[in-house]
Amino acid sequence: MTESIQLIKQIIKPKLKELRLSIYLLTRNTLTRISLIILLVLILIAVFAPQIAPYPTHLLLENNPTDKLMPPSSQYFFGTDELGRDIFSRILYGARLSLEASVYVVGFALVIGTILGAIAGTIGKLVDEIIMRITDLFMSFPPLLLTIAITAVLGPSLKNAQFAIILTWWPWYARLARGQAISLRERQFIKAAEAIGTPTYKIILSHIIPNCISPIIVQASMDMGTVILALAGLGFLGLGAQPPIPEWGLMISTSRNYFMNAWWYSAFPGLAILITVMTLNLLGDGLREILDPKTRKL
Amino acid sequence: MILRKQNKLRTKICIILIMIMIVTTLLSGCGGEVDSSGQAIGDVAVQAYGSTLTMEWDPAVMYSDSVAVMSNVYETLLRYNPKEDKIVPCLATEYSKTDDGLTWTFKIREGVKFHDGTDLTAEDVKYSIDRTMEIGNGAAFIWGPVEEIKVIDEYTVEMSVKYPAPMDLISASNYAAYIHSKDAAEADPEGWYMDKEAGSGPYIIESSVQGDQVVLSKFDDYWKGWEGKHFEKVVIKSILEGATRRQMFEAGELDAGGVNLEDLPIIRQNPNLSVVEVPTFVNTAAYFNTDKAPLDNKLVRQALSYAFPYEDVIEYVMNGYAEQTRGVLPANMWGYSEDIPQYTYDLDKAKELLDQAGYPDGGFKLVYTYINGPEDMKKTAELYKTELAKIGVELELRAMPWDSEWAMAKAENPEDRQDICSFRWWPDVCSPDSWLQSLYHSEDQIIFNLCYYENDDVDQFIEEGIRLSGIDRNQAAEKFVEAQKQIMEDAVVIPQYDHAGIWVLNSSVKGFEFNPAYNACVSWYDCYREE
Amino acid sequence: MAKYIIRRILVSAFVLFGLIVITFTLTRIIPTDPAAKWVGPRATAEQIAAARIKLGLDEPVFVQFGKYITDILHGDLGYSLVSHKPVTEELLQYLPATLELIIVGTFLGVIIGIPLGLYSAKNKNSWFDHICRFFSVGAVSLPSFWIALMLQLIFYGWLGWLPVGSRVSLQVGLMYDLPDITGLLLLDSLITGNMVIFKDALRHIILPAIPLAMFPIGYSARMTRSALLEILNEDYIIAARSYGLKERLILWVYAFKNSLGPTVTVLTMTVATLLVGTFLIEVIFSWPGMGRYIGNAILSFDFPAIMGVTLLTGLSYTVFNLIADILMVLDPRIRL
Repeated sequence: MTESIQLIKQIIKPKLKELRLSIYLLTRNTLTRISLIILLVLILIAVFAPQIAPYPTHLLLENNPTDKLMPPSSQYFFGTDELGRDIFSRILYGARLSLEASVYVVGFALVIGTILGAIAGTIGKLVDEIIMRITDLFMSFPPLLLTIAITAVLGPSLKNAQFAIILTWWPWYARLARGQAISLRERQFIKAAEAIGTPTYKIILSHIIPNCISPIIVQASMDMGTVILALAGLGFLGLGAQPPIPEWGLMISTSRNYFMNAWWYSAFPGLAILITVMTLNLLGDGLREILDPKTRKL
Repeated sequence: MILRKQNKLRTKICIILIMIMIVTTLLSGCGGEVDSSGQAIGDVAVQAYGSTLTMEWDPAVMYSDSVAVMSNVYETLLRYNPKEDKIVPCLATEYSKTDDGLTWTFKIREGVKFHDGTDLTAEDVKYSIDRTMEIGNGAAFIWGPVEEIKVIDEYTVEMSVKYPAPMDLISASNYAAYIHSKDAAEADPEGWYMDKEAGSGPYIIESSVQGDQVVLSKFDDYWKGWEGKHFEKVVIKSILEGATRRQMFEAGELDAGGVNLEDLPIIRQNPNLSVVEVPTFVNTAAYFNTDKAPLDNKLVRQALSYAFPYEDVIEYVMNGYAEQTRGVLPANMWGYSEDIPQYTYDLDKAKELLDQAGYPDGGFKLVYTYINGPEDMKKTAELYKTELAKIGVELELRAMPWDSEWAMAKAENPEDRQDICSFRWWPDVCSPDSWLQSLYHSEDQIIFNLCYYENDDVDQFIEEGIRLSGIDRNQAAEKFVEAQKQIMEDAVVIPQYDHAGIWVLNSSVKGFEFNPAYNACVSWYDCYREE
Repeated sequence: MAKYIIRRILVSAFVLFGLIVITFTLTRIIPTDPAAKWVGPRATAEQIAAARIKLGLDEPVFVQFGKYITDILHGDLGYSLVSHKPVTEELLQYLPATLELIIVGTFLGVIIGIPLGLYSAKNKNSWFDHICRFFSVGAVSLPSFWIALMLQLIFYGWLGWLPVGSRVSLQVGLMYDLPDITGLLLLDSLITGNMVIFKDALRHIILPAIPLAMFPIGYSARMTRSALLEILNEDYIIAARSYGLKERLILWVYAFKNSLGPTVTVLTMTVATLLVGTFLIEVIFSWPGMGRYIGNAILSFDFPAIMGVTLLTGLSYTVFNLIADILMVLDPRIRL
């Protein structure tokens, strides 16, 4: 036990150093710095949405139809929707929803994918073959199609949409982790651990996974945005979050019936998606440049 | 060096010029300057359809939105005019029934040609109906009462029925009642109707683009003739987005169709467009799952009926283009009566009833499903959710495609079904039993009685009503009213609203008449263009 | 090499088989009776039983599956439960519209994206480069359905510059017999030399194609830029420079040619993704393509149609992946 703690410490220490370096590098690039700041703001918004929102009751239960489809004004910054709810408040709450949902999706996909990929890459042979053919299978499904089919079977809800996306997403991580694991397997310290009889699961957990995590994190940061887009697409089709939940895709979908007279209703949720996804993508780009040794410059 | 720069500059200018040229040629000419090398097209009417047209042309099987096309291509024996509650002759010139209502005789019009060139005879009528019943798909059930169809002579058909059903209304139905050519059908019984048709209507299907549009052109030998002004061609086009339809109307590209309610005020101000408001037979309601607690308790259902914001829904959801349903039938349908009590929005009463039922602060959760797509159903659900929250009842909303919603309602175990299921209803046959028999008569196997309502009195009223409707419609109506009173007392359904039909027309289109008995259909033969 | 490719093809075959198994299972667990769907809502028990026999649902699942496989090999995908028509026939009618949209979208993506990437790599860290990077990240961050709505509102609703609602305008469609050689309207009208149709069809395809093009634009710009930057630092380029070769020659002939590999690989994969991505766009622009077909099929539980489309997209997806993988093997510089 103490050995493994020791081992982990040995791995973590240089990692921490690297982390500090990464943060320094991250903040060096202007674009990345800006996106980092925006992301922090978005996270704050997500956390404190109920406190910041001028009309926190307009999120789920209250509606106010006498004020429906009001243009942006000092009373309603982004105007109101078809039931007189404040779009600004709803977009703030939508930030929480989208970020939370995409963290869950990416998190689950990452954990499942990394573990399976690491197992496949480390053990190899038949296990590798089976796991990889399964990923091939899932990856050859057009992603949106499988998602639509699954939500159609399970019934529409945000949870089912998340589940369906996880199902189509994990193979990408599995592939990535497997590739890393294969190259790590040949390295001396793994060989050494094998030689002293460390059980395979321990090798996977304490050597393989910690060492293949950085490209996976880059991939994850890029995927967060894509997942938000996918969830919004499902919301748009009515297969994701259900009304009156203020999910951005759902808001845009509803706004289709009103946007000829109320441009603000479509424009602001769309901009919210654009800004969030773009921030995440820019950040992912920045992360990649730092963590990818090929493009890394000091 | 300078020379090279100039060269570069010249290339750049060239590229920019070429791009400008491409863009301007693309943007210029909005169809007006199309040269005259093509065929002349005559006067064309364009109808916008709000969903993807199912391209299905077998009149015996068709039970979908293809009807918008079919009603211009095929004809029925009779047509029904609900405004005057009158049966109008069509392919049958006259009809009679025996006093007991068990034998109906139809005189078939002479000199009617089918699109395949053959003449309409009594044989075709018998064959069409027999074929429809034999295949048994789609709306074939409307012929259920028929015992036998006999050909008396070349132009006379006799139908004997098991009970005095309103055969005049049935043979005027929008589905499964179209008469088609026997020769054509026998020549190719399986595939004939895939891409062709064999009707007697004013228009023939000229071409169709799968999922997009159908082009109809006039049938020269149509029995009513082509005197006077008519459209030579009709295009029925599916345009899914209401906003797109509005923009196309404003651009003058459409002649008839619907738009989103919210766009109507602006459409009304447009001098090139007119808005026609017509009664329809469509109504929307929410059906309680009476098999499952707590909705198996009549008091709870009554409480929930009092908690529905009827007026707000009409005002803010339907923008006034609807009325609260009285009973379960739409106001223009026979069998409707002012005597049937209506629930009103009254939260105090709702609370009181919940109290009596043993749920003083509500405290239960219900699943409410509605059809994914129509904006009004979604908004209604959201408003209702807000109201129920005030009496402590949580409503979980689920938008579903109709097939999923229906499958859920038919789930084997009542616990797996939704608590409240909302959908629209319009008649196959213009008779109250299209609502009462389908939705409220007890069923051995769940089909459309999605309240799972079983009340012997109601069953009896409905059965008696149906038996009377072929003989004495007033007496039948009384029975139907009694049935509705009991249904309202038991509160198995929240009848939400009767829809007003809104048609946007190009102002140059004249002669437009909407018949609520033929939902979504425009009789284009009667229309013409006059600037 | 050949061994790898053969193996890869075998794997693809396995994947396709798995795809069939999964779609087959999925359609069997959808909670609705296909036979009842076929005959309509109020059929009698006998009619449903008859339909069950007609659709082959009375047999054991394994027999059904075997039949399904043999039918697929004969190009028969069964009958749509909604329109009662053969699915293969319907698919063939819907496919060209979607293909045309994807081709135009990808084409736009390539002719805009690659030059953008090229110039921004060439002028690295200039303002042009920054704007370009910003734009290319923005392009992949846009919800396509939203940009579609906005484009429609601006270019059709407000400005009236470009048409929406179909593949050709009504007048043109009625005046001319639309050529039907490949089903791709732009190509067919060029073959038959009918410029009126060509121009009209081109105008109609612009608005739906732009939202689809956004992703390839952003992606190919990014790929080209990063691939080129890497190559521009390679020894042979530096050598070429020191020989005094013209900068333009170096950029186009040496660097660009070599950076094309990864870009093309990535593009083949985006094409496959677009196949499904068209769905939302087709709904918004009333484009009569496969996206709408599958959408309707799923919403109405038309399971032969669902399986048909899944199979077709899965097949093209697999084939595109296969091509991308083979390209990768052929080009030793690319590795995932």
